Amino acid sequence: MSLLSPLFLFALLGIALPIWLHRLQTNATEREKFSSIMFMEQSQRRVHIQRKLKYLVLMALRILFLVLLVLAFTKPVFFTALEAAVTEDTTHHVIVLDTSFSMREGNSFAQAVTLAEELVDAMGADDIASLYTASGTVETISTATADPAIIRGGLEGLEPDYGRLDIGAMVTALDSLITSSQANFIIHFISDYQQSGQAVRFADMIPDVINGRPVTLSIHQVKTEDVANWSVASVEITTADSIRVGLKNNSSAEQSVEKTVALSINDITQQSLTETFTAPADGISYISFENVSFDEGDNRLNVSITPNDSLPDDDTRYTVFDNSPPAPVILLSADPESLAVTYITTALETAPRGYEVELLDVNDFDPRILQRYPWIVIDDIGSVNASLAQELQAYVDGGGAILAAVGERTLGQASIPVGGQAIGGSLSFSRNTSYNVQGVNVSHPVLDGSVGWNNLAISRVLPIEAGEADNVLITLNNNIPFLTERNIGLGRFLLLNTSLNNTWSDLPVKPVFVSFVAEAARHLSNEELLVKEQTINSFLQLDQNNGASGQVYDPAGNSLLSLADTTQSQSIQLSETGYYRIVTLGRDNLVAVNPDTRESDLSIMDAQALQNWETMVAGSAGDMELVDGIAISVVEEEPVAIEIWRVLLILLAVIVLAESLLGNRYLRFNTGNT
Amino acid sequence: MQLGQTDNKNAPTRLLDPSVLSSLSNLELVAKAVVEGFVMGLHRSPKYGFSQEFVEYRPYAEGDDPRHIDWNVYSRTDKTFIKLFKGETNSHLMLLLDTSASMGFGARYSKLQYGKYLAASLAYLASRQHDAIGAMIFNDEVVQYRPPTSKSGTLHGVIHTLDKAEAVEGTAMHKPFTRFREHVKKRGLVAVISDFYCDPEALMENVRPLALHGQDVIMFHLLDPDELNPNIKESTLYEDMESGEAIEVDPIFMKQDYPQRIKAHIAAIEKTAKGMNADHVLLDTSEPLDRALHAYLTFREKRA
Repeated sequence: MSLLSPLFLFALLGIALPIWLHRLQTNATEREKFSSIMFMEQSQRRVHIQRKLKYLVLMALRILFLVLLVLAFTKPVFFTALEAAVTEDTTHHVIVLDTSFSMREGNSFAQAVTLAEELVDAMGADDIASLYTASGTVETISTATADPAIIRGGLEGLEPDYGRLDIGAMVTALDSLITSSQANFIIHFISDYQQSGQAVRFADMIPDVINGRPVTLSIHQVKTEDVANWSVASVEITTADSIRVGLKNNSSAEQSVEKTVALSINDITQQSLTETFTAPADGISYISFENVSFDEGDNRLNVSITPNDSLPDDDTRYTVFDNSPPAPVILLSADPESLAVTYITTALETAPRGYEVELLDVNDFDPRILQRYPWIVIDDIGSVNASLAQELQAYVDGGGAILAAVGERTLGQASIPVGGQAIGGSLSFSRNTSYNVQGVNVSHPVLDGSVGWNNLAISRVLPIEAGEADNVLITLNNNIPFLTERNIGLGRFLLLNTSLNNTWSDLPVKPVFVSFVAEAARHLSNEELLVKEQTINSFLQLDQNNGASGQVYDPAGNSLLSLADTTQSQSIQLSETGYYRIVTLGRDNLVAVNPDTRESDLSIMDAQALQNWETMVAGSAGDMELVDGIAISVVEEEPVAIEIWRVLLILLAVIVLAESLLGNRYLRFNTGNT
Repeated sequence: MQLGQTDNKNAPTRLLDPSVLSSLSNLELVAKAVVEGFVMGLHRSPKYGFSQEFVEYRPYAEGDDPRHIDWNVYSRTDKTFIKLFKGETNSHLMLLLDTSASMGFGARYSKLQYGKYLAASLAYLASRQHDAIGAMIFNDEVVQYRPPTSKSGTLHGVIHTLDKAEAVEGTAMHKPFTRFREHVKKRGLVAVISDFYCDPEALMENVRPLALHGQDVIMFHLLDPDELNPNIKESTLYEDMESGEAIEVDPIFMKQDYPQRIKAHIAAIEKTAKGMNADHVLLDTSEPLDRALHAYLTFREKRA
C-alpha cells in the first residue's frame, strides 16, 4: 500500500485527544473516596472492570475512527500484485518485432510473425514473455505474461507501418520500457536487419543491464541475403515545363531493369515512359518528362514505376510543386522615380518565389486595401505621415508585416513612424565616418546562411535606439542597430537602418541585398516555414504555419483537428504517406509525405556485425552471476493503483454506528444512576 | 438519645448549626459564637458552673492566671489567693484531635472541620470556666502538642493550633496516648475527637493507661451521615482515604450489611470506653454542636 498524501499522517497526533478525554473520564468518575473501607466487602460482580472494558472498546473505536479518517485523507492506494511470480530459473523472453517500412518487402513480416510464434511455442513452463513492436517508435503490445495465448493474440493483426527503425533508438526505448523488471532477459529481435537501421555508434545498440539482471540478445533474421529494390528517389522540376525523376537502385550490385515510369499531376496521368534503367550499387538513374503543364497553385505530382518489385510501397513518390503566380506586394514610396524603388523592385521580382510589385504613392495611399496584402514595403519610413502611420500600426497589429528602410525623409524625426523606435541624439553623419557591421544574427530566418554583410560600406545611419521589444538582427560598431525586427501585435515590423538608394550605403547594389529581400519577403509572408515535402512520422508545426487557425486533412481527406484543436494544437504528426492539405485563411497548401528513403535500402547487416552485436550484448552481462535461491517477483508493467478510500468510508460509517450505539449505552447507564 | 435528635428544652440556636458555622472562617469566632449561643440557650444553672457566685479562696499556684489573684486579700495578708467561683473546679482540659486522612471525609464539610469546631468550642468553654487548656494534634504521629495551661493567651494559642490542622496520613492511637502519658502527669479531663477507625482492642490498650493514671477521658466519635447510612444505587469503586486501596462494593451490601458493621464497630468502641470508665459520645456531623457541649458539661460535672 502506498500513500499519495502522506503528510496527512501528522493528523494522527489527534489520537491523543480521545485518549486524554477517556483518561479524564475514567479518573474522574470511576473512583470515589471514602474515609475507610475497613467495613466493606468486595462486590461479587466486577461491574467496574466490565465498564472499564466498555470504555476501552469505546476509546478503541474512536481511535480507529480517527486513524481511518486520517488514512482516507492520505489517499492510500494498493498496487496490483504481480501477475506471474517466477523463480530464479524463470526467463523473460522479450520479443521485439520489426514493423518498419522495409518489413513490407515480400513476405518478410509474415516470416517475422511465424518466428515469434515459434518462440512463444518454445517457452518453458516457468518462463514469461512480453511483446513489443519496433519502428519509428517502440510500442508495448503485451506486458510480461506466462500465458502464451496472450502473446499469440498480440501477434494477430500486427502490420508493418511506414516508419523507419533505428536500432540504437529501439534499444534505448526498450531499456526504459522494461527497467522495472527483475527476471533474466532474452531479447528476441525479429527483423530484416537493414544495414541502414544500424546505429551510428555501435555502443548504442548494447542494452543497459536491466536492474542488475543479465541480458541476452537473440537475433532472428527474416532474410539472410540482400534483395534488389528500385525506388523513386527524387522528383525535380527543372524548368517550367520539365521534370526529372531519379530512380534508385537500392542494392549492393549494379542492376539493369526495364521499368515504366508514369507521371500524374493532380491525379491525371500525364505521361508514361518505359525505359531500361541501369544504375550502379546505390546509384540513381534519371529520366525526364518534357512539356509538362501544371495547374496554378500547389500541384500533386505522383511518380510511380511499374512493374512493382517485392517492396511496392516505395515505387510511388509524392511531390508537391507550387505553381503559384508571383505574389503581389505593395511598395509605398514618395518618389517613384528614385533609385531606391528601382533596387527594391528588382530584388523582389528576381526572388525565387517571384513578386509582383505594385508601386503606390505614399501620399495618395488608401489604407483600406492593406488587408489584401500579407506584407508591404516602404522605401523611406519617414515619408509616412501620422495618420497613415496609425493605419499601418493597426495593419501590423492585426497580423500584417512591413519591410521598411530609413531615408532622407526620416531625418530630423524624433522616432521611427509605425515602429516607434526613438532616434536619439544628433544625426551621426560625417563624410569621414564609416560604419562596419559587427554582429549578424544568422539564426534568424531572414539572415540564415547569408554572407557579405561585413563587406558593406556604410557611411550614414540614424542613431536609432533599440527598445526591449526590438530584436536587433544586425549591429554596427557603436552598437547602432542596422537591422531590427519588432513584433507588434500579431505582425512584424522589419526596419533597415539605411536608405535603399546607394547614397547612405552600398547595400542595394550588393548581391546580399537580393537574397536579403527574398528571405525577408518569405519571412514576412510566413512562407518560409512550410516545407512542401516531409518524411513520414515527422511533425508539422501548425502554429508557425498559421495552421492552428485553419484545418488539416490527412491523405484520406479526414479532418485531423477538432474545433478546439484548430486554435490550440501546436503540431501534428504526419503518420501516413500521401498528401496532407493545410487550409488556412486565404491559403491552401499541400504537404507531400513519403517514407524514409533509407528504408528502401534492403541491404542487410553483415553476419560479422550481427555476431559482434550478439557477443557484445552477452559480454555486457558476462561478469554477472545469475541470482540463485532468491524468490524473484516480476512487476513488468506499471502497477495499477487501486484507491481504497471507498472501503475506508464504509468502515468509517460502521465505526460511527458502533460508537454511537456503545456511547448511547454508556450514557443510558450513567443516566440511570443519577 | 438517638442520633440526629436534639433536646427540645435546649433547642440549638442557628449559630450552633455546623453548616452555618462552616461559613465562618475564623475558628475563634466560631468557638465564641457556639459557646455564647449555647450559654444563652441554657437557663442559669449552677450545675454547669456559669454563675459568678464566690465559693472560697485557695492559694495561688504556679500555672494559675495572675488575673484571678484577689489583690485585696494580698494587700491585707501579703499572700496571694485565687478567688474560686461556683462551677470552677480548677481542673485542666486536654484536647486530642485526630487529623488522619479519614477525618477529611464529608460532603459539605469534613469531619475534621466539625472536630475543629467542637475542639475550639470546648476550649472556649473551658477557658470561660478558668480551666487550663492543652491540645494535641495527631494522626499516625503527634503533629503538634501544647501542654495544658491557664496562662493568658492560651485559648488563642490552642485555637490557632487547631486551626492549622489538616487531614493527612493515617491513624495511630498509641503514639498520641503514649506522648500524653509522658508529658501530662496531672490528672484532668481528656477529650479525644476522632472517627475511631481503629481496632477497639488496640484503642483500649492505649486509653486504659490514661484511665488508670486518673485521667477522665471523653471520646467524641465523629461520623458523617454518609458513613452511617451510605446510599448508593450502583456498584461503586471506593478508595480508602488513608491507605489508597480501592474496593468495589455493590449497593445491596452497602444498604444491608455495611450499616450493621459500622454500628457494631460503634458499639465496640462504646464498650471499650465503658470498660475504661470513659465517656463515649457519638456525633453525627450534621447535627448541631450543642449536644456535644451538653455531653461535655455533664461529663465535667460528673468528674469534678
